[in-house]
Amino acid sequence: MRYLNEYRDPALARTLVRQILQTATRRWVLMEVCGGQTHTIVKQGLDELLAPAVEMIHGPGCPVCVTSLEQIDKALLLAARPDVLFTSFGDMLRVPGSECDLQQIRARGGDVRVVYSPLDALALAIRHPDKQVVFFAVGFETTAPANAMAVWRARELGVGNFSVLVSHVTVPPAMIAILDSPENRVQGFLAAGHVCSVMGWTEYEPIAERYRVPIVVTGFEPVDILEGIALAVRQLEAGRHEVENQYVRAVRRAGTPPARDLVYRVFELADRKWRGVGMIPRSGLALRPEFSDFDAELRFGLGSMEVDEPAECRAGEVLRGTLKPFQCPAFGGRCTPERPLGAPMVSSEGACAAYYNYGRHRAAIAPES
Amino acid sequence: MAVIVSAGPSCPVPLVATDRIQLGHGSGGKMSAALLRDRFLPHLGNAVLNQLGDAAVLPVHGGDIAMSTDTFVVSPVEFPGGNIGSLAVHGTLNDLAMMGARPLCLTAGFVLEEGLDMALLDRVLASMAAAASAAGAPVVSGDTKVVERGKADQLYINTTGIGVLRPEFRPAPDKARPGDAVLVSGPIGSHGMAIMAAREGIAFEAAIESDAATLFPLVELLRKAVGDSVHVLRDPTRGGLASALNEIAAASQVGVVLDDGALQVPGPVASVCDLLGLDVMYVANEGVLVAFVEASAAQPALAALRRHPLGRSAVIAGTAVAAHPGLVVLRTGLGGTRIVDMLPGDQLPRIC
Amino acid sequence: MCLGIPGRIVDIRGDRGLPMGTVDFGGVRREVCLAYVADEVKPGDYVVVHVGFAIATVDEAEATRTYEMLREMSLLDELSAPQ
Repeated sequence: MRYLNEYRDPALARTLVRQILQTATRRWVLMEVCGGQTHTIVKQGLDELLAPAVEMIHGPGCPVCVTSLEQIDKALLLAARPDVLFTSFGDMLRVPGSECDLQQIRARGGDVRVVYSPLDALALAIRHPDKQVVFFAVGFETTAPANAMAVWRARELGVGNFSVLVSHVTVPPAMIAILDSPENRVQGFLAAGHVCSVMGWTEYEPIAERYRVPIVVTGFEPVDILEGIALAVRQLEAGRHEVENQYVRAVRRAGTPPARDLVYRVFELADRKWRGVGMIPRSGLALRPEFSDFDAELRFGLGSMEVDEPAECRAGEVLRGTLKPFQCPAFGGRCTPERPLGAPMVSSEGACAAYYNYGRHRAAIAPES
Repeated sequence: MAVIVSAGPSCPVPLVATDRIQLGHGSGGKMSAALLRDRFLPHLGNAVLNQLGDAAVLPVHGGDIAMSTDTFVVSPVEFPGGNIGSLAVHGTLNDLAMMGARPLCLTAGFVLEEGLDMALLDRVLASMAAAASAAGAPVVSGDTKVVERGKADQLYINTTGIGVLRPEFRPAPDKARPGDAVLVSGPIGSHGMAIMAAREGIAFEAAIESDAATLFPLVELLRKAVGDSVHVLRDPTRGGLASALNEIAAASQVGVVLDDGALQVPGPVASVCDLLGLDVMYVANEGVLVAFVEASAAQPALAALRRHPLGRSAVIAGTAVAAHPGLVVLRTGLGGTRIVDMLPGDQLPRIC
Repeated sequence: MCLGIPGRIVDIRGDRGLPMGTVDFGGVRREVCLAYVADEVKPGDYVVVHVGFAIATVDEAEATRTYEMLREMSLLDELSAPQ
């Protein structure tokens, strides 16, 4: 596909690897925010190839991983109801709640369906007026415009049997929380490209300034990631700390304003608990009061819940970047993709799953250079 | 509240219009006989089946026979490039072929849901007949049951195949050896993506057709070209190439190293995989085989595959190695390596 | 996060007031909501699609320019790099 496959060209990638290795005079610590970027890095062995020049710490950019245990448990409660047709993106199906997951609810008779787009969920609601269709609205700012439109259209078309269970999170507060942490070692960031396609990059300018860290808006293909890292390393070597855009083909400084606008007409900032990290103030999106009719938590009377994480799961430290997955004592033993303790082992974007699925052999094989 | 009249048991007098399967079709009485006579035999009939005995009588060959069974529950029942019927024939006969056996015949058991559209049944049976005929393996015994509406997803088919083994050609999953070349007979991902693209809720319009086909001709070409230099044969169906290679690596206790650039993926298949976030290595194939071949025989084996339309795009995709036994590793275009692991369950479309 | 794939708009129409279009991704087509880019696009343009929505237009001029720069750099690099 055009504007995609060219950015997988091994020759271009090799050039960028060489450039990074030549430019770096010391080993820099960078964080890629987005799970899709983690996926590419580990899948292509980029961290292996860049090891002398860069240490990549994987950030909490996996909305699946950071959806709080409470929200998962609420989803499971709803999905188990006989009057509910529960719809979700595929990512959420195997994320463990306190007792089980959505796939198990489906096996026990719950009507749980994977959809590609929130508009598909709305279409199901229109087609099944006898059922309550609930959509699990998770994601970062990238997905918020789609979820917002589903709610907006539901109101416009008067679809009374549609509601959403919201678990949206936003990136900048998470970056700030990481930078504020006393254990922080991150010196530069690759910002999430598609989040910025929607939101632009103005929110990152004060962060770069205040914490003196380069932030490079980066895409998702191997050439994009390497170019982003190259730009970040160049800034660090030169002592600069600016917001730079690698992903020029898909990101403008102002983002896509109509999308931003609808997001903030339907949603508002709210405090949000990040699984494994804890409460980050004003880091989530919740439905505005005028759309509360479409809030599944209100419609089905789901109050607040307090749920404890399994003590052994150290997802929080992994998500904050202070622990590498293979340093966790449970990694690969008591915690595997088949029997996960926490979300980063389940989600295909999670750092633990990425390491387990792609990288756990590194001790057994000497990396090629 | 209106009084709800219960539907109750259906009227036992059969309706004249038989455009849908009814419970009576499974009763063993006249309706069953009529279904067999009017629907099944016209498609699948042959000298053995037409006798309608309780069992098929087959001549016994000196030596070993191979026998394989599989049950097909695919949904949607019809998909671009085939349907559950053609799949049921190809799938079982291919399992025989992967053992090195020449397919001899098949049995077919059907579970039909009450309300199944007869025209659909006709299309499925016609496909089965065509597939069996193309493979030279008739259906010699069959059975049909009908279950109530809701107890089956339109129809399920079980096929059991019997094949004849040659003593000198016995590929097996535990026979791979370090140094073997790993050959893949064609482009990967078509079957699974044809099904996925047709699923409700996903609904992509894609020029992707299932690749379901009988693989025995390819196996024969390999056998004639390089004989028992073929150590392992496997058709990477459910779980895709990744799962098949992992099973072989584990059974033979060898490592496998794959070359990322060698694998062929049709454009639209790659596009849908990108759109849904799926890895083509895990997508089912029904017209592709993987062969582990003695290194010295790799080139003649490749040439043999390429002589057949199904093997036109055959490639040498990798090597078996002594290192990291049981692990399959992919070498990327950049020189990095990564594991190609088994998945715990199905691949799911993702947004992340 | 965020699978966003570039695709080419084939046609644009309205669905009860909501701008929708058929987008082609390397031979695969799907219905996509174009509400957020409707003012900027026409058939033949490329957009980035995430969960059935166009979230941004592809700046083809910028893409070409930066890609060509990268390729030139790579060619020079391949010529001068020790093999």
